[in-house]
Amino acid sequence: MNSIEVSGLKKYYGSVKAVDGISFQVKVGNIFGMLGPNGAGKSTTIETLVGLNKRTGGEIRVLDLDPGKEFDRLKPQIGVQLQNPSLFPRLTVREIVRLFASLYPDPLSIEEVISLVGLESKEKVQTKALSGGQRHRLAIALAMVSNGSVIFLDEPTTGLDPQARRHLWDVILLLKSRGVTVFLTTHYMDEAEKLCDDLVIIDQGKIIAQGSPKDLINQYFVERAIEFVDPGFTEEERNGINDLQIASRVIFENEESHIILYTDDIARSLTSLMDYAGGLSKPIADVIVRQATLEDVFLKLTGRGIRE
Amino acid sequence: MTIFKEMFIANVKELIRDRDGLFWLLAFPVIFIFIFGIVFSGTDESTFNIGIVTQSENIMIKQMIEGISDIQTFNVTQGTEEDELQALERGDRSLVLMVPDIDFNKVSQGQPIEIPVYYDASQSTTNQVLLPVIGQIFSQMEDMITGQVRIFEIQPQPMQTKELTDFDYILPGILAMSLMQLGLFGSLQFMNLREQKIIRGLGVTPLPRSTILSSEILLRVIVSLVQTFIIVAIGKLVFGVTIVGNILVLCGIVILGALTFTALGYMLIAFSKTSEAGRGIIQVVQFPMMFLSGTFFPITMMPKYIQPVVKAIPLTYLGDALRHVMVGATASYNLLTDLGILTAWLVVTLVLAIRFWKWE
Ligand SMILES: Nc1ncnc2c1ncn2[C@@H]1O[C@H](COP(=O)(O)OP(=O)(O)O)[C@@H](O)[C@H]1O
Ligand SMILES: [Mg+2]
Repeated sequence: MNSIEVSGLKKYYGSVKAVDGISFQVKVGNIFGMLGPNGAGKSTTIETLVGLNKRTGGEIRVLDLDPGKEFDRLKPQIGVQLQNPSLFPRLTVREIVRLFASLYPDPLSIEEVISLVGLESKEKVQTKALSGGQRHRLAIALAMVSNGSVIFLDEPTTGLDPQARRHLWDVILLLKSRGVTVFLTTHYMDEAEKLCDDLVIIDQGKIIAQGSPKDLINQYFVERAIEFVDPGFTEEERNGINDLQIASRVIFENEESHIILYTDDIARSLTSLMDYAGGLSKPIADVIVRQATLEDVFLKLTGRGIRE
Repeated sequence: MTIFKEMFIANVKELIRDRDGLFWLLAFPVIFIFIFGIVFSGTDESTFNIGIVTQSENIMIKQMIEGISDIQTFNVTQGTEEDELQALERGDRSLVLMVPDIDFNKVSQGQPIEIPVYYDASQSTTNQVLLPVIGQIFSQMEDMITGQVRIFEIQPQPMQTKELTDFDYILPGILAMSLMQLGLFGSLQFMNLREQKIIRGLGVTPLPRSTILSSEILLRVIVSLVQTFIIVAIGKLVFGVTIVGNILVLCGIVILGALTFTALGYMLIAFSKTSEAGRGIIQVVQFPMMFLSGTFFPITMMPKYIQPVVKAIPLTYLGDALRHVMVGATASYNLLTDLGILTAWLVVTLVLAIRFWKWE
């Protein structure tokens, strides 16, 4: 059984194809992740699924309803956290949770959601005085108080400190244990790997891979990754690495000036690489050999880092 | 219903916790009333000196003059044309009536008898109070001559039973203006909700948009009533203003006025993209309206081509309707005319606002 079914969904803003023909299903009670860099079309997808945006084309069913037409029946059954939550600035945390609770037929208790997101000490603080992370957690509380059977979370952990992030993961897993379906977007690989039962990777409005995190890694990576800091190769010298034919793919990550090689013969590749660098008198330090991650899947599929 | 209540409470809290905004909301009418109160109570006129020039021996004219003289607020002097007009120029008369003999030949041919009324056009009180009263007196006389139904009698009007000051006439104008400001600028809060994406954020909840709007409008109406209370209370306690009419009727008119200007505000912001632009348009509209409504400057002082504008703007009628209930029969229009035109404005602006408002 599926909570969400999407086929051929398109959303264009004029000539910008924010979402360009995506299809996926979300099973009841699963945590479904949509992973992609900024501008990939994640928020647009969520906003279309919850009836805030009108789609350009394609079919959507959420809880067997069309969010474009039957939003009146859909809204009481879902909870939504938008990426940039806008809240009444002068209501306190408690007051705004209370307001939202009053909008739903069968809400969770106000105390419970406030403590789930760890805002007990901020209960009486007006929302305009909250920090970014606290606003974010409040928005998640508002999505949860609905007690909806599907909860949409748009980048729920972006901007949270590592501790708050871990805590929120626990909350999301708790929702799952209660049978709630969670649709979340993220650009953190580790988050997707840890939380999601199913996952799509989206880039420039298109799905470029989908499956469970394990599936994706197995499918795209029987290989391992050799990652090292660029010792100052010239353009020509970089291209020389490709000519060595020691890797299925070589990625130059300009931002952190890392170079990553994917290979199934670590020993041979490492030796050739060291020789090559030694011959150019640019010895390589700080080499890491590791298992592939989702980040690598993304890099391999697009040639770009996900946080770009 | 609980949703409406919760939404309304949220709006109230937003309003009263915005200290600056709240301060101006309450301070504006207070400042206004004190400025005008001090200006106008300086020229305190509890009686009007009326000059009458006539050679007529006609019994009806005599009775009419007697009738006018009986009005407590009027202090009637008779004299020659030259003397009276000089007195008017000196400021010793508020108004001079030139009453000719009644020419029954003319009357039977249906021709009007012209009665020149001289007055100082710079005196707003004269314009707003005296002319309508004099007009009423003559129309009663006319009824008597042509209709031969009624006996010559002047109906004492509420305003004539007490001593009125200039400020009594100004107070309804201040109230009307406050209601206008509140309605027009109050609509900007709704614009803010849109601009801050709060309306969009609520769009994912089951909250109907109509509830967001109606709870906001209810709040504006209540604030209007609070402002009315402040203005009337200060008028009464500090400036000794008397309210003639029924307080419930007054509240009714205040609510109608608040709704009309709120709707006008919504219509104006419906055509603007940002709240800055909305504020601009509202200022452009409210400023001339303030001066053209005849509240502070007599309409007769304005050029002829402006008159149609004066007759079109809602503030004219709100001020007039409030004058009806607050000081009695000194208004320029029939109360039903006032209410009718205000309602028409309300309906038309509301329809346009709904038609052109964009929720996002
Ligand atoms: N209202 C809009 N008008 C025009 N373009 C938009 C609008 N919203 C989003 N976009 C564009 O659509 C693309 C996808 O945006 P978004 O869904 O917000 O991405 P993500 O959430 O993955 O970062 C981006 O190129 C963005 O600029
Ligand atoms: Mg986004």
